[in-house]
Amino acid sequence: MTDTLDIVARNVLWNRLISVCEEQANALMRAAFGAIVREAGDLSAGVFDANGVMLAQAVTGTPGHVNTMAASVRAMLERVPAETLKPGDALVTNDPWLGAGHVFDFVVVTPAFLNGQIIGYLASTSHIVDIGGRGWSAEGASVYEEGVTFPVLHLRRGTELNEDLLAIVTANSRVPHEARGDILSLLSCNDTGVARLLNLMGEYALPDLVAIADFIFESSASGTKQALARAPEGIYVSMMQLDGYDAPITLKARMTIADGTIAVDLSGSSPAVARGINCPLNYSAAYASFGIRALLTPDIPNNHASLSAITITADPGLVVSAERPSPVSARHVIGQALPDLMLGCLEQALPGDVLAESAGALWTLSLSGAGKTPFSSLNVALGGMGARPGTDGLSTTAFPSGVGSVPVEAAEVAAPVIYHAKEFIRDSGGAGRHRGGLGQRIEIGSRIGEDMFMSAAAFERLTSGPEGRQGGLRGANGKVAISDGTQVTDKGMYKIPAGERVILQTPGGGGFGDPAKRDRDTLQQDVSDGLVSNDAARKLYKGNQ
Amino acid sequence: MLRFSIDIGGTFTDVVAETEAGLSSVKVLTTSYAPDQGALDGMDRLLSKLGKSYADISAVIHGTTLATNALIERRGAKTAFVTTAGFRDVLDMRYEKRFAQYDLDIEMPTSLVARPLRLGLEERILADGSVLKAPQDEEIDALAAHIKAKKVEAVAIGFLHAYRNPAHEIYVANRLRQTLGEDVTICQSADVACEIREYERFSTVCANAYVRPLMQRYLGALKAELNRLGFDGSFLMMLSGGGLTTLEQAMRFPIRLVESGPAGGVALAAHVAHEVGSKCTLSLDIGGTTAKICFIREGNPQTTRRFEVARAWRDVKGSGLPVRVPTVELVEIGAGGGSIAAVDTLGRLKIGPHSAGSDPGPAAYGRGGTAATITDAHLSVGNIAAEGFAGGMISLAPDKAPAAISKHVQTQMGLADVETAAAGIIEIADETMANAARVHGVELGLDITAFDLLVTGGGGALHAARIAEKLGISRIIVPQNAGVGSAVGFLRSPVAFESAISVMEPLHTIDATALTHRVSEQVAHVRAIVEEAVPADRVTTTAKIEMRYQGQGLDIVLEYPADDGFKIDVARIEAEFIKRYKSLVGFTLKDIPLDLVSVSVTARETRKLDRHAFTPAAKADASQERQVFDLAAQSQITYQVRERTDLAPQVMQGPTVITEDQTTTLVRPGWSVQTSGEGHLILERGAA
Repeated sequence: MTDTLDIVARNVLWNRLISVCEEQANALMRAAFGAIVREAGDLSAGVFDANGVMLAQAVTGTPGHVNTMAASVRAMLERVPAETLKPGDALVTNDPWLGAGHVFDFVVVTPAFLNGQIIGYLASTSHIVDIGGRGWSAEGASVYEEGVTFPVLHLRRGTELNEDLLAIVTANSRVPHEARGDILSLLSCNDTGVARLLNLMGEYALPDLVAIADFIFESSASGTKQALARAPEGIYVSMMQLDGYDAPITLKARMTIADGTIAVDLSGSSPAVARGINCPLNYSAAYASFGIRALLTPDIPNNHASLSAITITADPGLVVSAERPSPVSARHVIGQALPDLMLGCLEQALPGDVLAESAGALWTLSLSGAGKTPFSSLNVALGGMGARPGTDGLSTTAFPSGVGSVPVEAAEVAAPVIYHAKEFIRDSGGAGRHRGGLGQRIEIGSRIGEDMFMSAAAFERLTSGPEGRQGGLRGANGKVAISDGTQVTDKGMYKIPAGERVILQTPGGGGFGDPAKRDRDTLQQDVSDGLVSNDAARKLYKGNQ
Repeated sequence: MLRFSIDIGGTFTDVVAETEAGLSSVKVLTTSYAPDQGALDGMDRLLSKLGKSYADISAVIHGTTLATNALIERRGAKTAFVTTAGFRDVLDMRYEKRFAQYDLDIEMPTSLVARPLRLGLEERILADGSVLKAPQDEEIDALAAHIKAKKVEAVAIGFLHAYRNPAHEIYVANRLRQTLGEDVTICQSADVACEIREYERFSTVCANAYVRPLMQRYLGALKAELNRLGFDGSFLMMLSGGGLTTLEQAMRFPIRLVESGPAGGVALAAHVAHEVGSKCTLSLDIGGTTAKICFIREGNPQTTRRFEVARAWRDVKGSGLPVRVPTVELVEIGAGGGSIAAVDTLGRLKIGPHSAGSDPGPAAYGRGGTAATITDAHLSVGNIAAEGFAGGMISLAPDKAPAAISKHVQTQMGLADVETAAAGIIEIADETMANAARVHGVELGLDITAFDLLVTGGGGALHAARIAEKLGISRIIVPQNAGVGSAVGFLRSPVAFESAISVMEPLHTIDATALTHRVSEQVAHVRAIVEEAVPADRVTTTAKIEMRYQGQGLDIVLEYPADDGFKIDVARIEAEFIKRYKSLVGFTLKDIPLDLVSVSVTARETRKLDRHAFTPAAKADASQERQVFDLAAQSQITYQVRERTDLAPQVMQGPTVITEDQTTTLVRPGWSVQTSGEGHLILERGAA
């Protein structure tokens, strides 16, 4: 082969590698249990080289998994050396500090052998419905209460499944068979990936992945450097205040842009708290770098080189860098706030180019039976996305998470609940030349006239809404109340008595630009659609209504 | 016999007439202001050529993208949506997730019904079908008065859990009808798409209501005009799912027509596959802007009930309006003759999704296009010749092709010569298409190497051999008449109708007798629709049972004949599910119950095969030669050049180029070619 042919062939190979991961991810998504996992695509899949360095990843992955997995494989190989692995072996862990930040996420790594040598690894991560402990809540005082942790172990040795490990899973999970099925689907999607990878290498007569890895890393590194150069060098500091579990939490970032790299230090953020909204640094780094990459390098595929241009650090023991045994179940409450914090820094570097703040962390809507009938229902309640420099924010759409909601009909089939309303909230989108996305009002009650429990762990931004940019106003803050008059004020467990309803109002996105400069026809359209009130049009937008 | 088919697309209208003597066709420009005019003009021309009149026509079969275009251009009826109070924003909330993770600028489609016309009504049915709150007449009447005052042309009704119990939808529809009269279209969600998941069902019923007034007017007028001209045969419509239906059904569910054009193309592929005895066929249609892939097994195209129309954001999957109607399952790839090749910031060579279209078109068209397209690449390596391109309809400026490739690809990538760059473009395009087929095949659990590749469209036969090599496929079929494929496909389609029942219950708690009864009723219903057009002894019925492990997303479809002896056999269904699951996933799960998701029933006209004997040319004419650049060889290779019409019946070895008006077939080294008894080209690999 000549050099020129190499270039074309390498292009083809790169695409094929990404495609191997896509096939692997599709196989996993189809086999996943639990509506929230399946609808959401709460998973990731990737190919790694013989050193455990990430080469390619499925684009379907959710950011919290995508970026954590890049580090998981090497961390796992430090504990079980590659020399000890045999064909057919597969490793597993759900350690929050090695995997994706809480015990629900399992990572499975499978070596790919060619002629007796490991030429690479396939890895995948997904959210297992229940792994014991307190289940989904922030109530655990330590990670020990949040479920069973598996250190890095063999899930399979050769052809032999580790049935002992699976027996521990089924003995501890409230949904034993689904949990077992989910772990096996990680194994089988990796097997699919290994088979595809070896086919591909056979087709192109590749002895190893070294040359293609070099090509991918070189192209990605130079592309990333070029894209990051768009942001002026300098040091940018940004702060954000969250409600916290029962007392406010400060998040702080100091971003240094220099030499085509971005380094972010989160030191100065609040110390870890006593309840499970703390975030391990791996998950914080995953979301922080997602926020930066979505703005600056959206077209560059995920791999070691494109991710390593961005580094995220923090002093240990903070809410963004919690250490064992801090509780971390609802770590996304902190983690998913970080993209907005990063965008706050980048707004200083690139004023006017950055979207306004969004509703932020997913509001996990976890209901369970508190009466005679046991059940558990998991959904998400989504708020508005921040207004963009060129256009309005998306209403009731997750950002930064890639998760969507479970349809009302599916949720009502799965659990004895009734959704009484699910509608946009007028005036919840932050006013601006471009309006923030709207939040929504959701009302839910029991279908069987029994008490229910609700975890308020993820109901964030109840005290102040997402900030606007460039003169845009804040989006509405969230509100959660029970129809008997109880207000939700912290992230604990609440009881919804029989006959009562919970009323959730999710936050709206921040506005972008001066509201008085909003296009008058668009404003009029918002008013006639009932998305903006006459009052707001007059007072906030200086309209003639 | 005289049968006509009419395919009205966005740009061209194809009309095909079939008599005992064979097919004749005409292509005219679509008259978008009055689409029937172009069609009638085409029919007039063919009738005078055949010396026949409208009274001689036994059947007209019609397919059109009119409904699709109305959805894309938002030119449908002023529509109101009546829904459960508190849920009117379901249409805008959609899935509440971004369809592209790293694109911060995405836009969602605007819904077909403006918010002020989305009207909540106090009523509620629960997940088990029981009634929590019945609708009140006073409120319905007030709504009706409001709708009437707003001069609405169409009303869609969608209530929560109507797939389980449609009583409220039916009641409200009847009550609204009293005020609104017959002039306003009224559609119910359980009628249009009787399936769980409120957003998709509501979206489907709104789309149906939105296009129905337009389609009723258009189809009614076309039929009346044909009758006025003396036609009194049967008038059938092509459905997205690949079958034909009566005009009455089409006017009731026009949303089922959205993909009729592509479905026609697939129908032709299925027919040709049947003719040449291909049991497993991968059809690939490469047009000007996209390529489409469909798997066909035993002559039956893969179908789905998940489809989206009118994508709002750069043609990205997920950005359109979902419609849950039976549709041939096509995977669309943004790579066609006009697709633009460019080098991205990472130095990667990318094809599409941007297309130069037909105006300005590829650089070689000389109409001001400067981008390097796939067509330019073919011209630069010698796969196609400038002379006689598109039957001489388009004259090419051959120098412009290498110039564009040199500027946009060769220099950007630092390649030594323009031929390598051009061959690289083709290789990446081949790879993109092969990969899409590969991925889709895996999703369906198919062994793609056992398939034959059947290619249509202007570019299909140019790319076929290399794609087949990449996929491990060893037989290629290039049908006759690929240029007006969809319209010919209409003539080869069976009359068929499909309807689904949402079940969503654990297999082991199902009342098998009751469900068997429901299915039988549904079978009788679809059979009656098909029997409107086909004698009863030529109708077969099948039931497709969709199964999954409880809580899992992987649906497996089991198909059974739905004849008189049909019954829901729980043990058999379970055994077959387990077997299929194991072959797809590699293991089975213990102790997890199975859910029966849905049963869809289809009535279908039995396929009849009229062989059209093809007479090959008496002898081959003198062969010409052409130099074609080969990427693997890194040099020019000498190809023989033959006209398709002059091919002798003998087997010929590659490298050979076979030319015809609408396409060029590339028989690469290592392949042989022969004309089948029906006139189709059959390429085989490794056959000496």
